[in-house]
Amino acid sequence: MDLMALVRDVSPLTQPTIVRRVDSSLRLSFALDAATQTSVLAECSSEPPLKVVRAFTLEDGAALVHIHNVSGGLLGDDRLTVSVILQENAKVQLTTTGATRIYRARKEAGPATQTTEISLGPNAFLEYLPDPIIPFRSARYCQRTSIRLAPGAGLFWWEILAPGREAHGELFAYDSVEIKTDLTAGARLFACERVRLQPHKYPPSSPARLGPYRYWATFYICRIGLETGRWIALEDRLREVANEFTRPGEMLWGVSTLVAHGLVCRGVVLRGRDALFGLHQLWRAAKAALYGREAVPPRKVS
Amino acid sequence: MIRDCKNPPLAPRKSSVDLSFLQLLHLADSGFPIGALAHSFGIESLVAAGLLSAADLEIFFRGYLEEAGVVEAVFCRQAVLIARESELEFPRARWLEINDTLAALKPAREVRAASAALGRNFLRAALALGESDILRKALEATEVSSVDEPCDCDTHIIEHSPAFGLVGGVLQFEEDAIVLAYLHQMASSFVSAFQRLLPLGQTRAAQIVWDLKPAMMEAAGRSAACSLDNFSAFTPLVDWGAMEHPALPTRLFIS
Repeated sequence: MDLMALVRDVSPLTQPTIVRRVDSSLRLSFALDAATQTSVLAECSSEPPLKVVRAFTLEDGAALVHIHNVSGGLLGDDRLTVSVILQENAKVQLTTTGATRIYRARKEAGPATQTTEISLGPNAFLEYLPDPIIPFRSARYCQRTSIRLAPGAGLFWWEILAPGREAHGELFAYDSVEIKTDLTAGARLFACERVRLQPHKYPPSSPARLGPYRYWATFYICRIGLETGRWIALEDRLREVANEFTRPGEMLWGVSTLVAHGLVCRGVVLRGRDALFGLHQLWRAAKAALYGREAVPPRKVS
Repeated sequence: MIRDCKNPPLAPRKSSVDLSFLQLLHLADSGFPIGALAHSFGIESLVAAGLLSAADLEIFFRGYLEEAGVVEAVFCRQAVLIARESELEFPRARWLEINDTLAALKPAREVRAASAALGRNFLRAALALGESDILRKALEATEVSSVDEPCDCDTHIIEHSPAFGLVGGVLQFEEDAIVLAYLHQMASSFVSAFQRLLPLGQTRAAQIVWDLKPAMMEAAGRSAACSLDNFSAFTPLVDWGAMEHPALPTRLFIS
């Protein structure tokens, strides 16, 4: 036996690099159970690392579901696909179990991507309240979200983008974050975002971008078919609410009516906890005004 | 015989490059009667909140051109293509699609209303200079909303940058020249708005617009490589200013 040949054959220097990209999907379908008048998770299929354990029933009959990413985060080239369908009259609260961490990507890797498609049936109602996105140093991330709303459907949906792992001294140390969002009713696109941050090329601290602020939050409040006058009135009301906690130098919140069917709230915030605080205040006021109901933050599970 | 000179066709002349250059300068002039000087697009709120000063202005506009400037240039180019393809039939669906998409990108209703007013006025002003079947169809394709009311899903607006691109395309100006002219008038309008809000002298204002020209060229160049699938813009502070503008106690500008 040629021992040297054997050693050469198994030498780490000659072993090809094993690259494991994650391709994962999660499909959820919710329906209203006619007998109990509660919303149920009618269908669920998932591939690791995405996982849903079960749906919880809330006091108002809505279904609460937590989306787990058991791997803890996303690496370069990972592809996650989430599909959520709410059938007619279903009410759902969807959240995550923790922040979406985007890890450092290898040089040759493409961005980690997450594609989410949500379809709301007639008079369905979704509160999609994920934890922040935290891109680590050298991370590359691309998120695409498409939400289609049928007549009468309602949506509360927010996103928070962190500057990085602040506690580790990472501020805008990631390579790129791209967020593409489309909200449609029928064939009409009524809101969209095409965000791309490349901090090394285009500084977020520009007065045209974030200026002195670090966190960016966006919050959509939609209900298909509501007349324009009600949205203008709610815009004024939510602006009053936002002005109660807007503090220049710490956080700024703006509210405006969309092309149709809703409002968007945007926040630029210095401290992460203030982003969630502001969103909760606006959500509470909007839900009371639109539905006469209390906004109950989702119970978190680990 | 008296020649009827009323409403001659708005058509490209086969004459000189100089005439096209003069026409493009005219269309991009801040004095072109479309109401551009009535809008600050949120800058008034930023100044009122102390977030924008004369010292920041150049770096602000540089960032703005890198983001929103590129997006407006992309849609301007799309409209130029529509003009080129309109010889047989005006592509109404595509015209509405690019205007609807650009409107959906803008979170602040006052900004959408402002752009809609400028876009509509621009097409009308161009038609007042000379008749054009393409521009007439573009105007008739949309139902116009008033400046004070946001659109609902049954109405469509004409955004300013596509209107500019469409007119330039009808007159067969060179595409890059159209985009650069649009970006120049955008930057000039903003600087002019700022001069009415804070002390900024004429010489300094002229210097800023002069020094921004490489940024305009870069934005125009980047937009040439973009399509409706791969553009982007991130201007959260400007968005806040535009969203907050309706609540300003005293306003010089409509937006």
